[in-house]
Amino acid sequence: MGRIAAVYDWLDERAAIRSLVRKGLYEAVPVRGAWFYTLGSATLVLILLQLVTGIFLTLVYVPSVTEGWASLNYLKQHDAFGSIVRGIHLWSAYILLFVIGLHMVRTFFSGSYKRPRELNWVTGVGLFILVLVMAITGAFLPWDQAAYWTAVVVTNVPSYTPFIGSFIRALWRGGDFVGPITLTRTFGIHVWLVPAILFPLILAHLALLRKHGEFGSYINYRGAYRRREGVDVPPAPAQRPIEPPYPAVPTDELWAAPLETEDFFPFQTFKDGLVSVVLVIVVFLLAVAIGAPLEPIADPSTTSYTPVPEWFFLPLDELLLLVPQQLIPLVLVLPAGGVLLLLALPFIDRGPERNPFERPAVMVPGAFAVLFVVILTLLGSGRLFNL
Amino acid sequence: MAHREPRRLSRRQFAFLGTQAVGAVVTLLLGIPIVGFILSPLFHRQQAVWRQVGDISGVPDRQPTKFEVSFPLDEWTNANVNLAVYVVKINSNYLVFSNVCTHMQCPVRWQSDLGQFLCPCHGGLYDITGTNIGGPPPKPLPQYVHRIDGTTLFIQNSFTESI
Repeated sequence: MGRIAAVYDWLDERAAIRSLVRKGLYEAVPVRGAWFYTLGSATLVLILLQLVTGIFLTLVYVPSVTEGWASLNYLKQHDAFGSIVRGIHLWSAYILLFVIGLHMVRTFFSGSYKRPRELNWVTGVGLFILVLVMAITGAFLPWDQAAYWTAVVVTNVPSYTPFIGSFIRALWRGGDFVGPITLTRTFGIHVWLVPAILFPLILAHLALLRKHGEFGSYINYRGAYRRREGVDVPPAPAQRPIEPPYPAVPTDELWAAPLETEDFFPFQTFKDGLVSVVLVIVVFLLAVAIGAPLEPIADPSTTSYTPVPEWFFLPLDELLLLVPQQLIPLVLVLPAGGVLLLLALPFIDRGPERNPFERPAVMVPGAFAVLFVVILTLLGSGRLFNL
Repeated sequence: MAHREPRRLSRRQFAFLGTQAVGAVVTLLLGIPIVGFILSPLFHRQQAVWRQVGDISGVPDRQPTKFEVSFPLDEWTNANVNLAVYVVKINSNYLVFSNVCTHMQCPVRWQSDLGQFLCPCHGGLYDITGTNIGGPPPKPLPQYVHRIDGTTLFIQNSFTESI
């Protein structure tokens, strides 16, 4: 027995790593459409990039209205590698928002949120919201003009909550106006509070994924063949071997187990890795070529600076512009209603059908919702950048 | 007389309740100071500070003029924060505006070509008396609490109406 095998055996006897590795690497995943399933792992890779670069940024950043901007200005002037780290943190955040959105749209489209995967969807919606909170709170921290006015506007939005609005605003700001406590509170939320919830939630999301197996897409299932004329529905699961974790005795045999599976490692990991490495290279190039901007330090007395929202805040900013003064709370009601609908989705759309073309009652409103957000974004960018 | 069942806890019930009681004690001992800590800035009364804006005898009629005033930040830092003050003279009356828009608190500016105050974020408009006349702002432009000694303007770090 080789020395490495002996070490492996020693570890296995004490930490049961053999079954862990087997479970982690050799799980069955659906074969067809697998490039679409790389969006989840790309989301994870980008979040881990945030974690690593974020940890290292705390080596220089000071959460203070007098020194926060100065510490990042020092980075910009005197530390080329530190600037790249900050650039990676910014650009991977931007791309993360885009990829997690695509991951969500993909899941919506494929109907993967249906029984028994409702909680995969619910934890995913939670992660999406937490990532948005990270993006918004992160935008406050540089305390340049862009950051300051983002902080002012964003913390002012909840003040339009009926009855308790100004209380919520004061709670976030640590007073009536944006100041030193706004920055320390937002820093605490960004580096500790949200990550402390986000990372355990990622573990839960992954554990649920492994529990039920990757659903994939309707094209992998017998259900896809049901309505096609002149095509035979492939044999029922009882007549072919089913790989765990897919159930051997399914509750709904048309949609329980994919027709063809392959091992997660190395087939899916190769696709996942390729997509992720392309994204990491793009992030790195953007970080080096463009980097993270730093405008002049926050100045509340300006009468010449025009605040421009972060691009991911554009749909809400456009709503702020369009909603008349009597209806400003709509700016809170619409996103809150959207989140509630997303959370409720798997409990509303409960039928077994996964084929998106057979689910118009869900796909059409979903497409309109996406269109609404895209149009608001286009209107906002057209207004602000004279496109 | 019926036999009276002794009402005593089983060992299991006792341990069950005890575990919950321990959890409740820890939650309370941690929860009270943490919640108080989060809420404490809400009960912190901002100190009224007066600052001299300057001589306003040169402010022309119906031409809002910008001044900048430095106030101490009301927390632990020694730093100051600069605030913008628009002084408007109409006949012999003075109005003393802040640059804070009542919609989303963006920095309002005087547009002499429009003859109006404009908020660059969402297009809010105020006339020269600070009345909100267009766009989303729900209230007039805020005015500082102020006093005028002769021709010297002083302002306090608070508005006449909360926004």
